Amino acid sequence: MEIRITGLKKYYKSEGNIIKALDDVNLVIPSNRIFTLLGPSGCGKTTLLRSIVGLETPDEGEIQIGDTVVWSSKKKIFVPTEKRSLGMVFQTYAIWPHMNVFNNIAYPLQNQKIPRAEIEQRVRKVLEFVQLEGFEKRPATRLSGGQQQRVALARALVAKPKVILFDEPLSNLDAKLREETRKELRSFLTELEITAVYVTHDRVEALALSDNIGVMRNGRIVEIGDPKKIYFHAEHQFVADFIGRSNLIPAVVEKKDANGSIVRTDIGQFVCSQTDFDPQSKVVVCIRPEFVELVSADEPKPVNTVSGIVESMVFVGEVYESEIKVENTQVMVKFPATVDLSPGDPVQFSVRPEHCLLVTE
Amino acid sequence: MLFAAGGQEVKSESKTLEDKVTMYASITGIEPVIETFNSESGITAEVTRLSTANFVSTVLTEFAAGKLQADVLQAPLPVLEILKDQGVIKDYVSPIGETYPEWTRNNGGIYQFGIEYVALIYNTELVKAEDVPKRYEDICDPKWKGKIVMANPASHATTISWLVGLKENNVFGSEENWYAFLEGLAANSPMFVKSFGPTPAPIESGEMLIGISMPKYIITKAPAPLGWAHVEQPLFGSPRAIAITADSPHPNAAEAFMEFWLSDKTTGILSEQVGEYVLTPGVYPPIEGIKDADVRPIRDLSDEEIISWGAKFEKIFAAK
Amino acid sequence: MIKSQTRLTWVLIAILALLSLSPVIMLLIGSFSKGLVQIGDFTLDKYKAVYGDVSFYGVLGDTCVFVLCSALFSTVLALFLAYLNNRTDIPGKFLFKVISVVPMMIPHVLFAVSWGLLLNPSNGILNLIFKDVFRMSHSPMNIYSIGGMILVEGRLDLPIAYLIISPAMASFDVSLEESSRVSGAGNIKTLLRITLPLLRPAILAALILCIVRCLASFAVPSVLGMPANITVLATYIYKITTTGLIPDYGKAAATGMCILVLSISLIYVYRYLTRSSEKFITVSSRGFKPVVVKLKGARIPLFIILLILLFVLIILPVLVLLYTSLVPYSMVPSAKAFSMMNLNHWKSVFTDSISLVSLKNSLFLSLVGATLGTILSVFVSYVIVKVKTRSAGVLESLSFLSFSFPGIVIAIGFMWLFVRTPLYATIWALLIGYIATYLPYGIRPMTSAFIQIHSHLEESSKVCGASFLTTVKRIIVPLLVSGIVSGWVLMATMFFRELSLSVVLSRPGTETLAVMILKFSDDGLWGKLSALGIIMIAISTLMVVSANLIGNRFKPASD
Repeated sequence: MEIRITGLKKYYKSEGNIIKALDDVNLVIPSNRIFTLLGPSGCGKTTLLRSIVGLETPDEGEIQIGDTVVWSSKKKIFVPTEKRSLGMVFQTYAIWPHMNVFNNIAYPLQNQKIPRAEIEQRVRKVLEFVQLEGFEKRPATRLSGGQQQRVALARALVAKPKVILFDEPLSNLDAKLREETRKELRSFLTELEITAVYVTHDRVEALALSDNIGVMRNGRIVEIGDPKKIYFHAEHQFVADFIGRSNLIPAVVEKKDANGSIVRTDIGQFVCSQTDFDPQSKVVVCIRPEFVELVSADEPKPVNTVSGIVESMVFVGEVYESEIKVENTQVMVKFPATVDLSPGDPVQFSVRPEHCLLVTE
Repeated sequence: MLFAAGGQEVKSESKTLEDKVTMYASITGIEPVIETFNSESGITAEVTRLSTANFVSTVLTEFAAGKLQADVLQAPLPVLEILKDQGVIKDYVSPIGETYPEWTRNNGGIYQFGIEYVALIYNTELVKAEDVPKRYEDICDPKWKGKIVMANPASHATTISWLVGLKENNVFGSEENWYAFLEGLAANSPMFVKSFGPTPAPIESGEMLIGISMPKYIITKAPAPLGWAHVEQPLFGSPRAIAITADSPHPNAAEAFMEFWLSDKTTGILSEQVGEYVLTPGVYPPIEGIKDADVRPIRDLSDEEIISWGAKFEKIFAAK
Repeated sequence: MIKSQTRLTWVLIAILALLSLSPVIMLLIGSFSKGLVQIGDFTLDKYKAVYGDVSFYGVLGDTCVFVLCSALFSTVLALFLAYLNNRTDIPGKFLFKVISVVPMMIPHVLFAVSWGLLLNPSNGILNLIFKDVFRMSHSPMNIYSIGGMILVEGRLDLPIAYLIISPAMASFDVSLEESSRVSGAGNIKTLLRITLPLLRPAILAALILCIVRCLASFAVPSVLGMPANITVLATYIYKITTTGLIPDYGKAAATGMCILVLSISLIYVYRYLTRSSEKFITVSSRGFKPVVVKLKGARIPLFIILLILLFVLIILPVLVLLYTSLVPYSMVPSAKAFSMMNLNHWKSVFTDSISLVSLKNSLFLSLVGATLGTILSVFVSYVIVKVKTRSAGVLESLSFLSFSFPGIVIAIGFMWLFVRTPLYATIWALLIGYIATYLPYGIRPMTSAFIQIHSHLEESSKVCGASFLTTVKRIIVPLLVSGIVSGWVLMATMFFRELSLSVVLSRPGTETLAVMILKFSDDGLWGKLSALGIIMIAISTLMVVSANLIGNRFKPASD
């Protein structure tokens, strides 16, 4: 089911200042995909999610889920949360401690007055799905973090909603469990015909899990795209920086033709394969450390070769994280663990034109 | 010093009077007497009010631990007699006390000075003159149903003694009539309060119209619209008594206080300002008609008698 | 470090045992003693006399009805108010603070008396108004009935229930309710199936504490129950100690034992419940404000109900007191009554030397007693929460014991105890008795404050080389200020109106205000009683307000 959000605004007053939690958000969340709202804390992503669920009332705009307008300031429509037929997994899981696993999961079905036998059958099925068979009688207070997370998922899924929402559901798990659960979650969700809206501030989580990512900042959607587009072809400096570590070097476009453009920076000229900026426009070249290639002194120099002095080399296991001083600019790079360099050594490296990302400031 | 205990400093300048005296009293409203004593004698008298019910236990507990604070005790006669049996009372001979009527003295240091007289008290604004009871049994008339207040006859010792006193003095002519009086009273569902103290308030306010209470409230509660029913029968009450404690911390001041208490001046104040019925001949409280009333002391009931009569009264009044 | 904590634990155990066990032991010995006021000659006669008497069981039945209904009434009302305050958008939220704190400062005798004046069947002011307005021939309400007693007692215990339920409601993890809404349950269903069941430990705890307080309550049964000849355990004990000239305290103690045993068992059930509540009530990890339930159309009607409650709970009784203090004798309001108003009762209260002594004593007991009690509570709570040894568990059990003390019973134990010490008849006897009896009220808020302090805050200070005392001073105390303030306020207001112990232990020079109140009430001097009562309420209010102001200055600026 598609979710259509138009002109959504929500302002808070705090200590005399007006905080724009949602600042004219327009968004279409496609049907039966995993859509992630990504952004730093305070960007408005949770407010947006809670507005979709109906736990928060925006000031202006309209929210439409499928064919139903669930909230509209103009038409004065407000469908209460319980009538929106959604599923949601909370950050704290919100498992009811006074009930056992069965009753926790059966609750949404009981609210629909479904016969007991059917409830039992559906709870068993969903427990199987989240791989918690036989946990029906377990008191909710005796579940591990991962198990609670699965119960919360089962509860959100059991009523077969067309839309499921996730509010940072993995942030309370430890790193290893988080990675496993992420994978499982993706396979669960792709198996079902369901629209999933997922809120997180963790970029790796967003990249690994999503079909589409909407990056938010200061109450606005900055950019929307699939993980690869967001990672490789971000249009905004903020997005490029937020989605992964980057060297952001101010530049001016010198030339442009059908094959690419040439930009000038403080550390030299770069050839980029992008063609969407006109000559003389001010841009930022975004170079990710992992795309830098070492060039040895005796081989011919490829395009975009830069020389500098090694400032630091930190061994982090798989690679070296190094800082290179080029002119007066520091550039972060990653070198294979096999290279043999020490601070003070001269070094040359290159970046392929397709990895020189041009973004607006 | 402000918060130091009272009665702990012991001054023993042998012949001079101590500068204070402590009294435990069951009688209420005696502030005018104490003020006069303090200003005339230069001794500070401190009064702790103990209800009759707490009197014996408090005094005996303190006495047993050697911590009795009181120099002078004032309570109904039977209370002081129980304490005398326990050795709490000093066998003091009061020069003034010896001038009282014969029957009030010879109690081994205990002197009777008044009668805690009980009467039917009514609201003079709400009860018509022709409705005021002429005899005690008139309050058994159903017109008083739900309009009578009295101290709880199951537990209030003075009320129990008074009811028994009515029987023993054959006020109603026979024991059957006395029972009929009790049952008639019970049938009118009187409102019970803890003691005499709270009886006048509901009469004043009109919540109740009449009660078994004390005429002294006509004085102490003035200008409340209270009057007493001039019944044809006599009025009855427990004798009030006073004595000095055996181990009085301030023996000289205690004697001075005792003499002051029994003096005409004090009984005058008691009757004039507190409305008490005192035993000094010719002194009457300024309440209309009391001078001509026949006020009689009732027999002391023993503790066992009070408890067993209380239990009987409880049954009679619960059966309503 | 560990050693000093162990020593502290044992010192505190010794102090608490002395404070709370000794009067119970005295009482126990007394109940097995033959003598009427003395101890010795052991016998079971008192128990046989009490528990062999059939009428005792009738009293027990009435007591159950009175106690259970009153406690239920307070709890339901507290739940309603706490929900409105914490979870809805009802206007005028400051009123809740007034409703929850003020009834605690009104001496119960005064409250009971003013309800007698308002709702007695003959000429209670409200009854007269009802009769007039609805043209009824009979008074619609009779306060001298078990229903009337329940109504008044229930209101008096409301603050206790509210102070337990409201914080639980406020710290509730809202996502537990939100997830219910998402699961398709509306507000009412969520309230019934999620919120209330989750608050069950707090609700039961409030109920139990109210039951314990009702069992010990004396003012309401004596002022409102006795006129209708309704006897509950507290007045039954009173009857035993007042019938006859030599009261049988042994028998009273034997009767009191059943209240004590009942109370202690209930208190331990309460502790069990509050312990398991910690795992239930999880504080929301996010900075979200609890979602407010929009009352919409019900907002104004509910606000009006709140105002009516405020009026009935606080304003009306205080107005009645004010009126009573101004008229020369008890009278129904009328033109005549207003024309006769004067300040004589006030004058006599202010010129009465004993009233002034009692005011001084009560202020001293309240200020010094609450301060000493608070200091002791801080140490006890520290050990209970932070030192997890078996001896700390012993301390915790001890600290709860006096919660269950019915004042009227335990006062006798204290009298038997103190009369054997030089403290008897001094103000210190009262001070110690107060602290012993009301210590749990100081410990409770402090314990919850300590729980809030994360252990790592202390540890970080310790790692920095700070000594134990520096840890307490620099880290813990500032964080504890709110706990300290509420503990102090609770104790100070309770000490200021303490009656049951004072009436047994006070002697010339150590009278307290509540003793004066009782004296006035015994003598039927409602005018003076009301004047003094208003003075007490005014001073208590002043104490509460200034304590809160001082507390606010110590709190971190961010608060």
